[in-house]
Amino acid sequence: MTTVKITRSKSSLSRKMAVPGGRTVQDALDLAEKGLESHREAGMVKIASLLIQLEEATARRAEDSQGLIYVLAADLLDLAGFFETGPLYRATFSLCDIADRMQIDTVWDWPSVAVHVGAMRLIMADGCQSSATSEAVLQGLDAVRKRILAN
Amino acid sequence: MATASRPTDRVNLEHITVLLIDDNPQALDILSSVVQGFGVREQMRSTSALEATHILKRKPVDLILVDCAMPEMDGYDFVKWLRREMPSPANETPVIMLTGHAISARVAKSRDCGASFVVTKPLTPAVLLQRIQWLSKDTRAFVTCETYVGPDRHVRNLGPPPGTTGRRNGDLSAEVGEATEGNMDQWAIDDLMKPRRVAL
Repeated sequence: MTTVKITRSKSSLSRKMAVPGGRTVQDALDLAEKGLESHREAGMVKIASLLIQLEEATARRAEDSQGLIYVLAADLLDLAGFFETGPLYRATFSLCDIADRMQIDTVWDWPSVAVHVGAMRLIMADGCQSSATSEAVLQGLDAVRKRILAN
Repeated sequence: MATASRPTDRVNLEHITVLLIDDNPQALDILSSVVQGFGVREQMRSTSALEATHILKRKPVDLILVDCAMPEMDGYDFVKWLRREMPSPANETPVIMLTGHAISARVAKSRDCGASFVVTKPLTPAVLLQRIQWLSKDTRAFVTCETYVGPDRHVRNLGPPPGTTGRRNGDLSAEVGEATEGNMDQWAIDDLMKPRRVAL
């Protein structure tokens, strides 16, 4: 027989946040946004560096680079997710999706990876701005992603 | 679920201690700045979940923000460790898991390992602050059993998606469309993580 214990207690987070004081939500958000913004430049440099590593790994097309593709793409996604990188974020998410699936299925398709990495370079060169071109590129990537996920 | 805060409402995070865990030092720096902006004065940072387990054994914290994907010990294993191996009340510490690649299977995995909330990127300070505020008003029970330790996971069964007909109340749509595994919407994640009372 399984024993289930159910408890209800107020967390220290609840107790401490209930203490009057602090700052307004608006001030808290403004200061947090300011803090976030102070990392943008360094963050974009790191994103560019990760993209170069992705390009190098894709160019090698070595079997032992397959796992690295997901790791690099996930790292890039983590950083891109802090800033307004719209189409770059979406392209990287798609790359994570296909790399994850291809690793699970143990069927690796380098051209699909290459088209994603190429698209990410194009989007980066365009300043990560949403445009008709980036939308068209993302639609193409989506078709690739759907084909791989449907397999 | 708590109502949204107004910009003029006050939020007090001055007295809480936050533990931030992310293997990416840059992401850790960014997160640290955001949390500092919220008014948190004491924060501990770790680039390894394993190291974080040692920190927690020495000092209790009020809130943990942890990245899902990490080498050695990932965020899921860390939360499982926290819930099962730490004594009460430290094992009930609220945990927000952060993820970039938020496919539904991973969100479900986060819920099942005992996370309090999952926040997906792109991450905005507004979403993160709101989740912290929600956690401060969290009334969920804490469940301890052989297969699960963590906040109550019971969710209301909403039945078939709107506009579709299931065979029984609670059935999903009979139409199986094209497989999609896009990033889950933050609201959908919150809905999945937030339990509601079930009428049995």
